[in-house]
Amino acid sequence: MIRAGAAWLALPLLFCGYARAGTLEAAVTTPAGSPVEDAAVVVEPVAATGPHRPPATAAVEQRDREFMPYLTIVQTGTAVDFPNRDAVKHHVYSFSAAKFFEIKLYAGKPMQPVIFDKPGEVALGCNIHDWMEAYVLVVSSPYFAKTGSNGTAVIANVPAGRYRLRLWHPRQKAPPPQREVEIGAAPVKLALALEVAPRVVKQKPPLESDRY
Amino acid sequence: MILKSLQHRIVVVFVGLLALVMALLLTLVTRSNERIVAGEMKRELAAGTHVFKRLMEQSQRQLETAATVLAADFAFREAIATQDQPTMRSVIRNHGLRISAQVMMVISPAGLLIADTQREAAPPGSFPFPDLVAAAEAAGKGTGFKQMADGRLYQIVLVPILAPKLIAWVAMGFQVDDRWARELATTTGLAVSVVRRHGPQADLLASSFDDSRRVALPEALMGLTGDAVQVLSLGAEHYQSVQMPLDQDIAVVLQGSVEQAQAPFHSLQETLLTVVLGGIVVFAFGSIMLARRIVRPVNDLSAAARRIEAGDYTQPVPSLPADEIGRLAVSFDHMRERIASREEKILRLAYIDTLTGLPNRTRFLEIFSQVPAGSSGAVAVLDIDRFALINNALGHPVGDRLLSEIGLRLKQIIPRPNRVARLWGDEFAFLLDGANKAAVTAFAESILAKLRDPITLDGQRLDVGGSLGIALYPQDGRDVTTLLRRAELAMVAAKRRHSGFAFAVDTGSGPAHEQLSLIGEMREAMARQEFVIYYQPKLDLASGKITGAEALLRWQHPTRGLIPPLRFIPFAEQTGFICEITPWLLECAIDQTARWHREGLAIVPSVNLSALDLINPGLVAHIGGLLEQHKLPAGKLCLEITESALMDDPELALAHLSELSALGLKLSIDDYGAGQASLAYLKTLPVNELKIDQTFVTAVADSPKNAAIVRSTIMLSHALGLTVVAEGAETPADLSWLGINGCDVAQGYGIARPMPTDELAGWIAGFDARADGVPATIDFARAGKKRNDRTAVRSNA
Repeated sequence: MIRAGAAWLALPLLFCGYARAGTLEAAVTTPAGSPVEDAAVVVEPVAATGPHRPPATAAVEQRDREFMPYLTIVQTGTAVDFPNRDAVKHHVYSFSAAKFFEIKLYAGKPMQPVIFDKPGEVALGCNIHDWMEAYVLVVSSPYFAKTGSNGTAVIANVPAGRYRLRLWHPRQKAPPPQREVEIGAAPVKLALALEVAPRVVKQKPPLESDRY
Repeated sequence: MILKSLQHRIVVVFVGLLALVMALLLTLVTRSNERIVAGEMKRELAAGTHVFKRLMEQSQRQLETAATVLAADFAFREAIATQDQPTMRSVIRNHGLRISAQVMMVISPAGLLIADTQREAAPPGSFPFPDLVAAAEAAGKGTGFKQMADGRLYQIVLVPILAPKLIAWVAMGFQVDDRWARELATTTGLAVSVVRRHGPQADLLASSFDDSRRVALPEALMGLTGDAVQVLSLGAEHYQSVQMPLDQDIAVVLQGSVEQAQAPFHSLQETLLTVVLGGIVVFAFGSIMLARRIVRPVNDLSAAARRIEAGDYTQPVPSLPADEIGRLAVSFDHMRERIASREEKILRLAYIDTLTGLPNRTRFLEIFSQVPAGSSGAVAVLDIDRFALINNALGHPVGDRLLSEIGLRLKQIIPRPNRVARLWGDEFAFLLDGANKAAVTAFAESILAKLRDPITLDGQRLDVGGSLGIALYPQDGRDVTTLLRRAELAMVAAKRRHSGFAFAVDTGSGPAHEQLSLIGEMREAMARQEFVIYYQPKLDLASGKITGAEALLRWQHPTRGLIPPLRFIPFAEQTGFICEITPWLLECAIDQTARWHREGLAIVPSVNLSALDLINPGLVAHIGGLLEQHKLPAGKLCLEITESALMDDPELALAHLSELSALGLKLSIDDYGAGQASLAYLKTLPVNELKIDQTFVTAVADSPKNAAIVRSTIMLSHALGLTVVAEGAETPADLSWLGINGCDVAQGYGIARPMPTDELAGWIAGFDARADGVPATIDFARAGKKRNDRTAVRSNA
C-alpha cells in the first residue's frame, strides 16, 4: 500500500515531463554493508523551499493489529487517515511534539483524518496494543523516498539544483551528518551508511486470546 | 579398699556399668544432636537463603511488573510527554502512591534527571545510577539496591516509558528498612541484615535484629567474607551466617541462630540427663537394696562362722529365707551341730582319761598353762603304793577298777573341776593354785588319809596307800614340765622314805638347770674317775664278825664337793646312764673283794642293782665274766635288789635272777617292807637274803609294833630259809635286840658309817680287836647321825 502510494506519487512527476529534472538513487546500508529498510531519504532545495503541492492524503492502516506501513513520509499539511481493518478496535495516539493526537477507540475509518501540519517525527502507538508501532516523518520538501527491503530509495523528477540531503530512520542510533547534493540531468547515485538499531519485536499475544 | 565389701562391689559394678552405658548413650545422643543441629542449621540456612532469593526475585518481578504497568498507563505517559515539571512531579507522586513507592524519578532517555519526588525543583544533573539505565537499555528494565542521598536504602526499579518509542525512564524506589528486613526474616526464618560494604568494613543499613545485636553486628561482619557459611558471634549468641551481594557494594547477610537451633536439643538433653541421673539414683538405691539382701545373710553366716571359729557352738545359725543362701545356712547349721558334737567327742578323747573320767596329762598341762603368770601354788603328784603288785596279783581288770575307785575318791576330795588329773598308770596330779606350803601339807594329809580307807572290790578288801610329791611354784619352777618332774622326784623320795609326802625343795634335787648340768657331767665324771665307792660294814650278829659290806656310790665333784646319791642317781636311772655305772661299780667291787680275799679279809660285798640293770640282757654274762677274771667265787658277792626294781618286767627279772642264782651269787631283797612285796611272792624268788627296811629297824627296841613286825619277819624268813639283814641299826639297844631276836646280820650307824674303800680293812681290824676285848659293846657313839646318808644308801637300789 505504501509502495503503491509512492508509485502513485511518483507517476505524475514522471508524466509532467519537466525538462532538466533529475533522479536521486540512494542505497542505504549499515556500516557493515547490509541494506537498511524503511530509511527516509529527503532532499530539500538549499536555495528556497520547494514547491508546495496541494494538500495530499496518506493512510496508515491497522491490519492484523499492526500499523501499515511502518514508516510513512508526508509533506507538511498532509491529512493522514488511520483506517482500521481489524475486527478489534484501536486507540491510535502520538505524544510526539510534531503531532500530539489520539483517536480514541474506533473501528473502521475514523471520521476525520489527522493533518500533520508541522515537520518532524511522529511516533504512533496504539494505547491498547502496546506492540503496535509506526512512524510518520513530516517534511516540508516534496522530494523524498523510503528505502525498500533492498535498502534503495529512488527520488525521481527532482529539478536540477542543489539540495540538502537528509537521511532518517526511526531506529537510527545517531542523526547522520547533513550533506548537500547536486542533482542534475544525470541520475545521482549515492551510497549512504546509517547505523540502525535492530527492530525489537515486542511481544504480541496471539489473536485467539482476544476471543476471551 | 571399698571393694573389699561384696555389697560395695555389687553396687559399684552395677551403678558403674549403668553410668557407663548412660554416659555412652548421652555422648552418642549429644554427638548425634550436634550433627543433627549442624545439618539442620545448614539446611535451614540453605532453605532460608533459597527462600530469600526467591522472595527477592519475586518482589523484584512484582515491582518491575507494577512499574511496567504503571509506566504503560496512558495518562501517566501523556503527563510525562507534556514535559511539564509540575505535571510530571504531580503524576509521579500520584502514581508512586499507587504502587507504594517511596521515591519516583523521571529520567530522560539521555540519562538526565527530569523529575524527582524527593526534590521540589527539578534537579539539574544526571541520574545517579547510570548502571540501572544501562541495564534497562539492555534488558528493558533495571533493578538494584541503591542508597539515596537521604542515606536510606531503596530497591529501585527502572522501567522505560514508551509512547511507543522510549520517551523517558521512570525509577521507582521502595525503601529497604528494618521493617522490610523483619518481614523477610519472618518468612525466611533467618535474621536479615543489609549492609554496605567497603572493604572489610560494613555499614548496617537495615536489620531484623534488635538494638543489642545490631550494635555488635558490624564488628562481627568484619570476619565474614565471600559467600561461605561462617559462624559469627553476636554477644553471647552464635549465628551461622552467609552473605549475598545485592548490588555493587550492598550485601545482605542472612543468619540463623545456633542457640535457637540447639534449644530443643538442649532441652531434650536436659530431660535425658534428668532421666539418666534419676535412673542412676533409682538403680543405685535398688542395687544397694539388692546387695543388702544378698550380703546381709552372708554377713550373718560370716558372723556365725566366726562364732564357730572362736569355739562358740551354742548359737544356732540364724534362719534365712529359703533361697540358695538360706539352704547354705541350713547346711551350715547342721555342720555347726556336727562339729560341736565331734569336737566334744575329740575333746573327751583328747583330754579325759577314759578309765577314771579325770582329765589326762595333756589336759592337765593345758590347765596349768591357764594359770596366771606370777601367781603361786603347787603341783602335786600322787603315786599309788604297791599298785604294780596288785595289778600283777589280781589282774588288770581289778587294777583298773581300783584306779577308777581312787579317781572317784579324789574327785570327792577336790570338787573344783580340772584340779586333779590322771597322768598315767597309777600316777595322779593335782593343781593347787594359790595354795601355800601349809595348805598343801594339809591337802596332802587329807589325800593320804582318804586313800588309807580300805577299798573293797568283789568282796576283796584292798589296802592302798600313796606317796605324794609336791613342787611349789614359782619357787621350784615355772613351767609345768619342770614342776611335774620335780614333784615326781619328790614323790619317789617320799615313797623311799615312806614319809607319805615330800616337797621337792626338801628332796635335795636342785634346780632344773643344775640337774641338767649334772646329767651332762656324769659321763665326764666317769672318765675322770670322780665316782668313788664307799663301803658300809655288815655285822654278823651271831659271830660278832664283819662278814660283809654294802658298796655305795659317791660323786666327788671337783667344784661342788661330795654330791649325795639322791642328787644324781635318779637321773642316772632316768637317762639310762645307770647301765654304765653299775658294771663299773661291779668291776670295782669284784676287783676289790678279790684283793681283800688275797689279803685274807674274807668279806662278802653287796652291790645294788637297779631295775634297768635287772632287765639288761648282758648283766649275767658280765658278772660271770668279772668273777672269773678276778678268780672270785660267786658266793663271795651279794647283789641287792629292791622289790620295785623287780616289778618293771617281773618275768625277765625273775629269769635273770634265776641265772644269777645259778651262778652261785647271793641275792638279797632290799628295803623289804617299804614296797608291796609279800613274803608269799618273795618265796617264789631265788633269793638268799632279806633286808628289812630301816623304818622298821630304827628304834626297834623302843617300838613294840616295829618289834613285832621285825620279830615275825625274822621268824618267817628263817622258816623260808632266808638270811635276815636289818638295816638302820643305830643304837646298841637295837643291836642287842636284834641279836636276842635271832636276826642274822645288822647294818647301820650303830656299827659303822659308810667309809672309803681303803679304810675298810683297817676299820675291820680295829673292830675285831675291840670285839675281842668288849664284845657287843661297839662304838655306838656315832650312831643316830646323818640319817639322810642312810637314805642315800638305799636310793642306790
